[in-house]
Amino acid sequence: MSKPTLLLIDDEERILRSLRMLFFSGYKVHMTTDPQEAIRILREERVHVIVSDQRMPLMQGSELLSLAREASPATMRILLTGYSDLDASIASVNEGEVFRYLMKPWDAEEVKKVVAEAAAIAEASFAVQMHTDISVDTASARSRVLIMDHDESTARTVHETLGDRCEIIWASDAQHAMEELAKQDVSVVVSDLMLGETNVGYILKTIKQLNPQTQCIVVTSFNDTSRLIELINQAQITRFLPKPVSKNLLARNLESMLERFHAVRNQPALQNRQAVAPISDPKEKIQAGNFLGMLGRLRARMGA
Amino acid sequence: MQQATQTGKEIFSLINTIDAISPDCSLEDVAAFFTHPQYSKLLSLPVVEEGRPVGMISRYRFMDIYLKRYARELHGKRPIRKFINGKPLLVELDQPLAVAARHVLANMQFPLTEDFIVTQGGRYLGVGFVMDLLHAMEQQMRANTMELEQANSQLKSSQLALVQSEKMASLGQMVAGIAHEINTPLGYVQNNVAIGQELFQQVQSMIAGYEALVDDLLDEQATEAQIAAQMQQIAERRADVNVQEMLGEMQGLMEDSLYGIAQISELVLNLKNFSRMDAAATEAVNLNECIESALNIGRTVLKDRVEVIKELGDIPKISCAPSQLNQVFLNLFTNAAQAMEGLGKLHIKTWSSESAVHISVADNGKGIPEEILTRIFDPFFTTKPVGEGTGLGLAITHQIIQKHGGEIHVDSRVGEGTCFHIKLPVVTSILMHQPAASEAAT
Repeated sequence: MSKPTLLLIDDEERILRSLRMLFFSGYKVHMTTDPQEAIRILREERVHVIVSDQRMPLMQGSELLSLAREASPATMRILLTGYSDLDASIASVNEGEVFRYLMKPWDAEEVKKVVAEAAAIAEASFAVQMHTDISVDTASARSRVLIMDHDESTARTVHETLGDRCEIIWASDAQHAMEELAKQDVSVVVSDLMLGETNVGYILKTIKQLNPQTQCIVVTSFNDTSRLIELINQAQITRFLPKPVSKNLLARNLESMLERFHAVRNQPALQNRQAVAPISDPKEKIQAGNFLGMLGRLRARMGA
Repeated sequence: MQQATQTGKEIFSLINTIDAISPDCSLEDVAAFFTHPQYSKLLSLPVVEEGRPVGMISRYRFMDIYLKRYARELHGKRPIRKFINGKPLLVELDQPLAVAARHVLANMQFPLTEDFIVTQGGRYLGVGFVMDLLHAMEQQMRANTMELEQANSQLKSSQLALVQSEKMASLGQMVAGIAHEINTPLGYVQNNVAIGQELFQQVQSMIAGYEALVDDLLDEQATEAQIAAQMQQIAERRADVNVQEMLGEMQGLMEDSLYGIAQISELVLNLKNFSRMDAAATEAVNLNECIESALNIGRTVLKDRVEVIKELGDIPKISCAPSQLNQVFLNLFTNAAQAMEGLGKLHIKTWSSESAVHISVADNGKGIPEEILTRIFDPFFTTKPVGEGTGLGLAITHQIIQKHGGEIHVDSRVGEGTCFHIKLPVVTSILMHQPAASEAAT
């Protein structure tokens, strides 16, 4: 394989020069401070990975990445920013659909590793057509939707939107969610971040490790930027909708995430595009380990 | 309920459990009671029939009757019922103290000849002394006063806390901005050092290769094959990395790094300058410096989309609290930036008149509607969404300017922009610093 192509965008040229040097040997590196130029490059050339700053005078990074998604869907998108603001991180999930949200100052080795991983995933997905026609038989296997939210309105919207096509499970606590997951994987998860007293972040992260095809929608009134960034990197949540969320918005996202699930299932090469980073929080790591262990035992018992 | 038991307690503490007398008691018996030690403190004796108070007989009235000539002989055997005051002062147990006191004060007679009866549900409980009641009342009022004083001082300190929290809120915003500002140079400096470290190792091993070759060449014992192998090794390394090119690039990265470090130092220095002085400390300061300092700190809010036009005139130093005025300017600048959607212009002007320094801060933002223009300096008035603004920014600005003996005015047109004009006296401010200046002025 020839060298993968990397596109770097930042309004500070010194950042660009520094990053270029980091990828000097293994990549073909393009860099620019101009978002329009970046889009032009994406259209003209096959770019494996785009790494963008968030706060730039001409265009926000999340907006640029969302344009990049249209111009070159197979390109893996990474945000590299020194400014963690909630709106920016929400936009980077919902519009930018970023693979990783990285912070400045960055760890050189980590960034190298993430970009290398992204480049390999991009290479694999170039071979696959990204926009497959989703007239595939969605009925072949009934999709399952797992709700982890005590908010009744969320459950009602899910029922009204997908009730005729999917099996819908409304889990009241972590134990219940686990039992359902033990039976069979789910297609879409709609979850708040808190389920009663339980912080369900580790469950979302585990679900994604269990089955990368599952699409996660988070609906919550919790506004914690650093937790959101963790969920982007370690759970690859695909939508983050702040509560109160309008019925239409949730319904629209349910439809598109169900579609996404089928697309990924039909093209397994795509599922790595949502590969997760390892869980960083030590407590969550233990929780996730326990969850996986118990789930494994449950599944073994059911299979027996 | 809580209130009732609380007030019940207040009256309860006033009760003296006294055995009441029957209305059928004869005057002779009553005379004996009045001399009995149990009743020695009483002004009057309670008269109770079937558990309910029917009246009071006071010492005063009793003497009036009983000390008359032949009274003992005439009335001694007669029941007291005929002689009692049938409308004694009654206080219900669960009445609030204040209500009871009001009732007693309104109905007692002068000179004070009777105590009052405490009842519960109309039934006799005991006797209370008017003086005790008034005393209790006084104590309660004293406690109330203390409570009021406490509430007052609490209000004062919570106002201070609010002012502080406004400071912290704007500080928080600022810190987030500055963190970003620092993270950018920190990002490339750190990365450059990491790259340099790796390059250093490569150069080290390269030099080791060359040195080994030189050693071989100088060594008469070395064989052709040995030398060839060494050269081969070096050639491979050279094919692997172009050290010359890398070193050339690295030179640039070093320069970038120094630039980045200078930037970080400047930011840190700005922060230090900004918060250096105690809130109250006054010194002679050129306000142009405060403005520059606030612009530096507020750069993150402004830089992306606001063009700053400065017309800073030659103005005299004034004696003031620079950190407070920094806060004023930063507040005005960030407000202006928030009022401008998209690109905007911020026009900052300073000039001096005979005895004052003037500052104007004008933006071409969305302007302030006339109906709220008079309220913008009011504490807690805000147009920002809940949680974003404390509504104290301009109130504090106003307060700081007033404390400095100055004035602040606003002029705004919707759709065109807003201009704040600040006027600070040169002389008065110096006066508070140097009392001797008044002599010089005459």
